[in-house]
Amino acid sequence: MKLSSELLELPDSPEAVLAAFCDRQWCDGLPIVPPTPERVEATLGAVDADPGELLGLMPPLWREATLEKLAINAVMAGCLPEHFPVVVAAVEAMLDPAFNLYGVQATTHPVAPLLIVNGSYAKAIGMHAGAGCFGPGFRANATIGRAIRLILLNVGGAWPGRHDMATQGSPAKFSYAIAENEAGNPWQPLHVELGYDREASVVTVFGGEGPHNVNDHVSTHASGILHTVADTAATLGSNVKWYLAQSQLLVVLGPEHAATIAADGFSKADVKAFLFEQARLPLRTLRLGGMWGIQDWPPWMLGITDPEARLPIVRAPEEIFVIVAGGAGKHSAVVPNSTFSRAVSRPITRIR
Amino acid sequence: MGTPSGLIATAAFQALAVSELQALGVSGLPLLVVDHPLGGEKPEGVLRRAHQAAEQLAGLIFPAR
Repeated sequence: MKLSSELLELPDSPEAVLAAFCDRQWCDGLPIVPPTPERVEATLGAVDADPGELLGLMPPLWREATLEKLAINAVMAGCLPEHFPVVVAAVEAMLDPAFNLYGVQATTHPVAPLLIVNGSYAKAIGMHAGAGCFGPGFRANATIGRAIRLILLNVGGAWPGRHDMATQGSPAKFSYAIAENEAGNPWQPLHVELGYDREASVVTVFGGEGPHNVNDHVSTHASGILHTVADTAATLGSNVKWYLAQSQLLVVLGPEHAATIAADGFSKADVKAFLFEQARLPLRTLRLGGMWGIQDWPPWMLGITDPEARLPIVRAPEEIFVIVAGGAGKHSAVVPNSTFSRAVSRPITRIR
Repeated sequence: MGTPSGLIATAAFQALAVSELQALGVSGLPLLVVDHPLGGEKPEGVLRRAHQAAEQLAGLIFPAR
């Protein structure tokens, strides 16, 4: 295996390595695993491919995203070689024009690609879908998510304040990867809903804000829980709704909430229909601030004048994604998207 | 001749804009820079930025000899 990246000689100490990478703006500020040729080759070995294979040009600086460069960052993040196929599939998904990675990288909006991994490979490599899945504590989630961030920094060139213009950044920009809790999902898992075989392993990237908590400890029926979800989703400060055609919403139901909803006979389509109808804001509220006056709405919405009219935050029920993740407890989460980026999925096929 | 093109950015986004022009191989494109921000400005602030852009645009169309 022939690597082409330049070699950097550093003192053999963790402190010196971290200082050198921080000085060069090559990391996220946290300690890294030194990407030695041996480690990079071991990582590349997990996908059995040419290190020079080009997946595409990564914005905002449109640099070449080769497998070698991805592997270097995966090593730095602490990935095991078997994590690398997920990283590669996620990068393939992010480079789909529908994801609009330039927008996700450069926007002032605090958004990051959330990886949702479905299928048997997630379980095989220890991706966590249960209690505390958003972190911390689970190596596969933490390092795969971190590898994506290091790739976005080092290959894409999205350095905060220079090419990543997020006003405040986000903890989600350190690492943002989960598996779906398929065992706790009373409906079809996400990848099956999207048309993949149940046996397939799939990564979906969703350009989203950090998770917004949905606390409902009292509802014993679907209606109460979903009203709480809807109220969390429909807020004046969220970007979702102002650019309606591109707005998407991810709802991450905790398994206890999902079970209560399903026990009332709700299908996943029913959940989406309910949220589409109820996650709305009245026109009088929308007029108070946010992006009022510069919204990008279809003509029928711009024609509404009744201040009590409740307007949708997404174009249609199918723009709402519903997954199940987490452990015991009465919490769920809502993840609004970056409103100019569409969720994209790719099968995880580069598995040796 | 092609289509005359340029890029308008606020000062806070000037570094990103210059990097993009370079990365996309069009570093010669004219760049018009106006005060930051654009959002949340009162009409007089928007007017000031319009004048800034117009003056720079005029300089590009009719460069001083």
